[in-house]
Amino acid sequence: MDLSFTPDEQAFREEIRAWVKANLPDDIAHKVHNALRLTRDDMQRWAKILGKKGWLGHGWTKEFGGPGWNAVQKHLFEEECALAGAPRVVPFGPVMVAPVIMAFGNKEQQERFLPGIASGEVWWSQGYSEPGAGSDLASLKCKAERVSDELGDHFVVNGQKTWTTLGQYGEWIFCLVRTSSEGKPQTGISFLLIDMTSPGVSVRPIKLLDGECEVNEVWFDNVKVPAENLIGEENKGWTYAKYLLGHERTNIADVNRTKRELERLKRIAKTEGVWDDARFRDQIALLEVDVVALEMLVLRVLSAEKSGKNSLDIAGLLKIRGSEIQQRYSELMMLAAGPYSLPFIEESMEAGWQGDFPGEVTANAPLASTYFNMRKTTIYGGSNEVQRNIVAQTVLG
Amino acid sequence: MDFDFSGDQEQLRDAVRKWVDKGYSFDRRRSITAAGGFDRAAYKELAELGLTGLYVNDADGGMGMGPTEGMVMMEELGRGIVLEPLPQALIAGGVLGGYAPAELKDTWLPRLTSGDALIVLAHQERALRYKLAACATAAMHSADGWTVSGTKNVVPVADYADAFIVPAMADGKLALFLVERTASGVSASGYLTQDGGRAGDLTLEAASAQLITLDGQTALEHAVDIGIAATCAEAVGVMDKTLLITTDYMNTRKQFGVVIATFQALRHRVADMKMQLELGRSMSFYASLKLNAPAPERRAALARAKVQLGQSMRFVGQQAVQLHGGIAVTDEYIASHYFKKLTQLEMTFGDTLHHLGEVSNRMQDTAGVFA
Repeated sequence: MDLSFTPDEQAFREEIRAWVKANLPDDIAHKVHNALRLTRDDMQRWAKILGKKGWLGHGWTKEFGGPGWNAVQKHLFEEECALAGAPRVVPFGPVMVAPVIMAFGNKEQQERFLPGIASGEVWWSQGYSEPGAGSDLASLKCKAERVSDELGDHFVVNGQKTWTTLGQYGEWIFCLVRTSSEGKPQTGISFLLIDMTSPGVSVRPIKLLDGECEVNEVWFDNVKVPAENLIGEENKGWTYAKYLLGHERTNIADVNRTKRELERLKRIAKTEGVWDDARFRDQIALLEVDVVALEMLVLRVLSAEKSGKNSLDIAGLLKIRGSEIQQRYSELMMLAAGPYSLPFIEESMEAGWQGDFPGEVTANAPLASTYFNMRKTTIYGGSNEVQRNIVAQTVLG
Repeated sequence: MDFDFSGDQEQLRDAVRKWVDKGYSFDRRRSITAAGGFDRAAYKELAELGLTGLYVNDADGGMGMGPTEGMVMMEELGRGIVLEPLPQALIAGGVLGGYAPAELKDTWLPRLTSGDALIVLAHQERALRYKLAACATAAMHSADGWTVSGTKNVVPVADYADAFIVPAMADGKLALFLVERTASGVSASGYLTQDGGRAGDLTLEAASAQLITLDGQTALEHAVDIGIAATCAEAVGVMDKTLLITTDYMNTRKQFGVVIATFQALRHRVADMKMQLELGRSMSFYASLKLNAPAPERRAALARAKVQLGQSMRFVGQQAVQLHGGIAVTDEYIASHYFKKLTQLEMTFGDTLHHLGEVSNRMQDTAGVFA
């Protein structure tokens, strides 16, 4: 039992901190620290800076050109990035599809796709959810029929995906598609990589309750996908998707970003005059305890992973708790500003906006939007109710 | 950073668990409560395992162990809802070993270790609630030495204790004294507590006392923090077993023709209990691992831990009763005793709201496990 990081880990942290300080563009950090609107270019710029250093795929093994860090090093890297105000790495390429390509893709696929993911050049999206397949993802219907003709062996894809995060920027999309209706729903699913510039692919951004277009609907209308874009075996896609869920388990708690946002909440509370209101400050104190407890839970999982132990029974708790805490800090930020969180002036979400925000504190502009946006966290990535089913299964059988 | 237990720590855990499983049945516990809530024989058995001297240095005949071992021991005692107050032995070992003059150590530490002396902290006063900075009990110094006068309430096993660690004001400053129960001017009452254990009120009328330290606040805060860490660990053990009892019951009890463990409304409560247990366990680790940190860091950490454990305990206890249904509100069934223990532990060494205030007052710009 030891709560401190080793000298090597401390040195590693210092190295990361210095590098991030030197390489994270100020304008991007400013936006992140103030929850202002990030453009595609902002996200891509940071991804390419990381890519050039070989750290965009920071969870990758050396075999695939990654740094080969252990669980603790990965955590320290994520923490330093988050505290410095780096945007969250868009996970679909480096964190989600890459591990599947590494584990189940063939050599040609690895050589073809991994370099563009590692460098941040290619924007990947995820095509899982459908209008009729949310929590019950295995009921998905988007269909891929295998056809051989004079153009070669390929799939013809028809159907719709939805909630595709940042899909309006996507160049490639990895999809779960139905290739068989035999047997259990899970056994007829395949994992397909689709070029989003293919004829028949159309994307429609969905305006969300905060006024932003963070997610999209994606349609496939007789889209021809070469058979070599199939990952692994046909009808084994569900297994590959589940493998993904076992990856980066501590990341989903997002405790590092939450620590940064707790600092921001305290600044807002001071500016808005509620820091000295014991009733309000006690709510922040309660959140601070929640954050420390979550961080301890994360550290326990990391420690178990470092020593090669199974920690699945507590890892399942991380998503539930992390998302609840994200919602709570955004709620308290909004409540701190009170009526000054209510004016909805979309331009004020842009960095450098020079207008007059009611109450003169422009930093209040995104608070309600962030609160509304954060309602997604207990829904996505397996709703918290589905997560509770999983946790209960480990306890009750 | 490492949350694995060493081989020695696992051995300690096994030894305590074995004693609890074999030596401290629910029937024995029930008979101890019926006889007044404390059993000297059981306490001696724990002493024979070396547990009362866990924090006493090797040189003074103890085990010379630290907070992690204290935590392991308390988790296991918690699983068996053991009534004998081992947190008090940890406090006595820590306070006497850390702050008392040599002659006091020489007299009391070997007796603490052997189990011949039961030494308890007597700090609760009616007007203080959970505050530690000052008290109404007063100390006077004369040529014959120190005397203290005042009343302390809800003192663990007061009428069985051999000596008390007593905070009292000496020249306007909090000091810490050791008072023997048999000294003149000392009287102790006794009563059962809600968990089936024992406490009492201590009345001191110019009772002769020996000075532990004039820097009483430092020592008292340390004593209470040892108590908080022990209580957190004990709570983890109690909650762990509570969850186990509850899930066993749910997998046996049938309604509507099926075991009640199949109902999703109940399963989600169990998931939430598991959440509170693991958050509690995480913060119990945190409490024990911060127990040797410099005082300001230690105090802040222990307050955070008690806020988490307080919430966890209340939730797990209440849910366990609800999930069982009527059987859990009977005295006959074991779950109600776990619930009552959890309820009592929340109010031991400061409740959730008190410690939330401590956290609130200490908040800095940044916060986390390492700050």
